[in-house]
Order: sequence, then C-alpha cells, then structure tokens
Amino acid sequence: MVRIKFLRSGGSFYENLWMAIATLRAHKLRSSLTIIGVVIGVWTVIGISSLISGIDLAVKREVESFGIRSIFIYKFDIGFRTSEPTREERMRPNLTYEDALAIAQLPSVEVSVPFLNITNNRWGQKILVTRAGKTSAAVRLEGTLPDYERAGVETISEGRFFVQYENDSSQPVCVIGSSVADNFFPYGSPIGETIEIGGREFRVVGVLAKREQFGGGEGSDDVNNVIYVPYNVARKLKPNADDVFILAVARAGYLDQAKDEITDLLRRRRQVPFDQPNNFSIETAESIVQQFRSLMAGVAIAMVAISSVGLMVGGIGVMNIMLVSVTERTREIGTRKAIGARRRDILWQFLIEAATLTGMGGLIGLLLGWATSFVIRLFLPSYVPLWAPIVGVIASVGIGIIFGLWPAWKAARLDPVEALRYE
Amino acid sequence: MLTAQVQEEIVPYGELLAQEAVPAALISMRDIWRTYQMGEEQVHALRGVSFDVQKGEYVAIIGPSGSGKSTLMNIIGCLDTPTRGRYWINGKLVSEMDDDELARIRNKEVGFVFQTFNLLPRATALHNVELPLIYAGVPAAERRERAKRALMAVDLADRMMHKPNELSGGQRQRVAIARALVNHPSILLADEPTGALDTATSREIMNLFERLHEEGNTIIIVTHEPDIAARAHRIISIRDGRIEKDERVK
Repeated sequence: MVRIKFLRSGGSFYENLWMAIATLRAHKLRSSLTIIGVVIGVWTVIGISSLISGIDLAVKREVESFGIRSIFIYKFDIGFRTSEPTREERMRPNLTYEDALAIAQLPSVEVSVPFLNITNNRWGQKILVTRAGKTSAAVRLEGTLPDYERAGVETISEGRFFVQYENDSSQPVCVIGSSVADNFFPYGSPIGETIEIGGREFRVVGVLAKREQFGGGEGSDDVNNVIYVPYNVARKLKPNADDVFILAVARAGYLDQAKDEITDLLRRRRQVPFDQPNNFSIETAESIVQQFRSLMAGVAIAMVAISSVGLMVGGIGVMNIMLVSVTERTREIGTRKAIGARRRDILWQFLIEAATLTGMGGLIGLLLGWATSFVIRLFLPSYVPLWAPIVGVIASVGIGIIFGLWPAWKAARLDPVEALRYE
Repeated sequence: MLTAQVQEEIVPYGELLAQEAVPAALISMRDIWRTYQMGEEQVHALRGVSFDVQKGEYVAIIGPSGSGKSTLMNIIGCLDTPTRGRYWINGKLVSEMDDDELARIRNKEVGFVFQTFNLLPRATALHNVELPLIYAGVPAAERRERAKRALMAVDLADRMMHKPNELSGGQRQRVAIARALVNHPSILLADEPTGALDTATSREIMNLFERLHEEGNTIIIVTHEPDIAARAHRIISIRDGRIEKDERVK
C-alpha cells in the first residue's frame, strides 16, 4: 500500500519537475538571483576541497620524496609549527656528529648521516657561492657524509657522490643540485669544473637529478638549489658549528622498531630523566603528513563554515522567493485544488520547485568548482574528491526542501474558495 | 450555539430514518446551512437549502449578489462544506468528508468551469486538459489520449499545443470546458461561464453547453444574467440564503 502510494506520487514527480523548470525559466532573473547563495556555497565546497586535496597530495609526495623509511631527527620540532620555541626548547643541547654515528650502529637502522647547515657562517652571514663573476647567496649549503647517497633521497644524474676518503682528508669537492648546475654551468658539463664557496675553490664531482617539488620553489626555497660538501670540510668553513640534523633510514619493515631504538639511544646519550619527555624530535614522512593533515582539518572546518553561511543565505532567499511565488499563484493553487489536487499534491509541487531551484544552484556551483579545480591543477596536483559533488548536490537539494517546506505548507493549506477568489 | 445543538438532538424518528436513507438523485441537499463567524456576529449565507438534481438535468442557479448563490455553488462543487445539513453526490455523503476525500470527489465527480477560465498560463491547452487526470493518477499515454479526445469534443483539435495567451477568450473557455469534462464527471458546474466573454462568444459557449447537455451531461450553471439562465431547463432562484423559487422552464 505504501509502495503504491509512492508510485502514485512518483507519477506526478516528473510533472512537478517539468512544471517547476517551466516556472523557473519564466522567471530567469529572479531565479538566478535567488540561487547565488547556493551557488557560492557549493562552489566553495568543491573549490576548497579540491584545493585541500591538491595541497595534501603535493605535501604527501614531497615528504615521501625524502623516503618512506626515512626518520628525521632534530633538537627542535620538525614540521609545521606556528608558535615560538619555548625556553625549554631553546635550552636543548645540540645533536652531534657522534649521535649520528651511534644511530648508524643500531640493528634496525640501515643508514644514518648528519647534516651540518653552513648556509650562514659563524657570524650569521650568508656564505656566498661564486663562479665566473656570478654570485648567489640563496644556495643551501650542507655538509654530510657519503652514506647520504645510500639513503635514496637524492639521485646522481652525472658524475658521482663524494667518497669517505675525500671526507676524511677534507678534500674541497662538492655535489651540486640541478638548479646550481643550471645557474652556474649553463653551457657544458660542470664535472671537474670549480666553484667558489665562501672564498674557497671546490671541485664539482657530481650533479644531482632534479627533484619535483610543491609549488615550484624559487631561490632558497628551491630544493634543487643545494650544494653538498664533505662533513669535515663543512666543519672547517664554519668551525663553531655543532648543530646537526640527522637523517636515518630504517631497514625495510623495521621503521617503528628503528624509531624506538633511536629514541632510547638518544635519551640515554642526552641523559633525559625517565619521567621527562624527549628533548628532541623524531619524525617520519608519515608523521609529518599526519601533522599537516591535522592542520588542514582546521581549514576544512573553516570551509564548511563559509559554505554553510552561503547555503543558509541561499536558503533564506529561496524561502522568500517561494513565499512570493505562493502568493502570486494563489489562484493557480485554488484552480488545482478545484480540479482535484490534494494538500500533499500542492505540497509536493512547491517542494519540488524549491528543490529544483536550489539543485540548479548546486549544479552551477559544481561546474564552477570543477572549473576552479582545473585552474588549481595548473599549480597543484588537484582533484575533486568524490564526496564533494555528492555532498554539494545533496546539501543544495536539501536546502531547497528545508527552506521550501514552510512556503509549500502554506500553499497546501490554502482554502480553495478563498484562493479562487484571490485577485 | 446551545439551541443549535438541542435542535439537532431532538429530531423526529421518521425524519431521522429519511436522513439515513441514501437518496437516489445525483445531487441531494437536505437543510444545508452555511454560517460564517464575522467577529462576534454569525452570518448565515445559506439558511436551510434543500433540493435534488437528477442525472441529465440542465439547471441554472440565479440570484443577486449576496444572495448566497456563490456559497451554494462552492458547496455543490465540494470546495466548501456546509455548517449543517447533509449533501450527497451520486449516493456519497460528501458533507462529512475530510479534505483528501473532498479533493477526490472534486476530481472525479465535479467538472469546474470558471468565469475567468483559470488556465495555467505557461502550459499548453493539452497539458491544461491533462491536469485533472494527473491528479487522478492516470498513466501518461492514456492521459494524453483522453485529453486529446476532450479537446476534439470542444472543436479545438487544431489548438492543442497553443498556450492560453495564444487563444481567444472563447477558445480559452472551451479549453476550460474540455478540462472539466476530461475525467467524465457526474456534474459540470459552471460559475458565470460567459461573464468574461462578448455576446457572440457567449452564445457560442452556451450552444456548446446545450450540446453537452444533449449528450447526457448534467449541467449546473450559476449566473446572474437572466438570458443565460433562460437557456436552462430548470431555474433555482436564491435570495437571502433560501430558495425563493424552483421552477422547470422547459
């Protein structure tokens, strides 16, 4: 019985839809002004969700380009932060070269190398890179060990990485990133050529393959704008430097175990009391992506807030226009009742009209959102997540039904005698 | 209020029996009252109207404005329900029906023709005629077929796809008549059907009513124009909410 009733109203559903579209087409300007709020609401949902998905994918790719088995260890928190470091953090002792070598001895660790950043010298000034009259202060300068090559983060495209002997005997050799090669050696191969770093001549032994990065990156933000030199040489360029960043790579399948072993080792070496938290941070690609995602959750909430304001405004507009429409069509409602429309037929007619109105707004918002996503795709690997259009359409149709309910109920309740008498 | 209740309770036994018996007439009204509450005052638009209409009759209801003829028409058409009294259409006691049941009676038993046609402006003539069948739940193909036949019956076969604003007044009224007839109602109820038409077109429409009557339809026309009423076979005159005169003229 319920099914038969459902089918019966299903028969007039298309009639109602057809009538609704005809009515909306007859009032093009009014209809389009009414749905602007809904359009903006849905557009915001689709646009921002594709933006977020794009940033998310880009960050994930970039972080994972450092290796999914990589473990990053530093005395300060790694990743995304917005607050100033606390006093406890500023007082933390440095991680050392020896810490890196000790970590390398752990059973579940495959590689562990220290990084000494010498982009700035001991007085905080930039160490300049010069060749043939060309100078740059934006090159990131790192001292590390030959084992870094085994970490699988960088690939040599030409030449070779420096070797342990060159580190031990402090040879002035370097491996340059692709951007450095493009800037300073635009013609011919840089291998065997010299480049001046901090006033000393270095011989280029290898060029790194270009790494893809999020947002393109310019100058010092460019991951390819980098020069690696042997650790010992770096120490000589910046004698007081002892602030080491450590990159460790776990053996396949031992990531969690390696993390635990490193944590234990460093707590012992740094003499952290058992009841105190770590005075260093240890992160993996996955944990950094997680950090980023919790940050993005805030953006997502803001998105929902913005779009729901749009949808609410749209909903109120729809209610207003539907009330006008009911008043304007009082005689029509009276006529329909006179020829046999029941209350629920009138209710359905106006509900479907309201839902068609907002549903069209939703579709327009969807198309604009997709177009926005295409524009974003020029900068980011953006895509529209499947849930976004579904939520967009359901929300817009739902807004029409919710805000159309009262006008439709008003129409359904009209007394046919009075409605027919209405001028 | 109290007196009204007492009156209803003390009904002679014989009369009670008579009320319960379902009348054989197509339309049967027994002591119909319609009372409006205007602030403190009660206004009686109808004060005990009783009459029968047999199948196939052609009746005109006339009366000056304020006489209660519009109220009576609304009750005949089941747009309104009497405050007191009983009303049967086709043996069905409609005076006690709820909203949805009344909508069904209006759909199946009554075909309305209005003074101002009341067609949907954005729909074609065909779609306008289909409308009662939509509410009756008739499938689309059958609906279309029946609507076409109804339009042919009023000689509008060549105007089916026209919208009301592309039709003359007389054509619009004929579309409205086709809409009223399409669901084969028991009565055709017309409220001043020529009120918005010129004399020539009025005559054309009245000829159509006459033809429909000859084909066996029961027609009730509400009007204040004596020459329109004169075309009917029976004239019921209403004054001050009562039947003043009920006479067979042909």
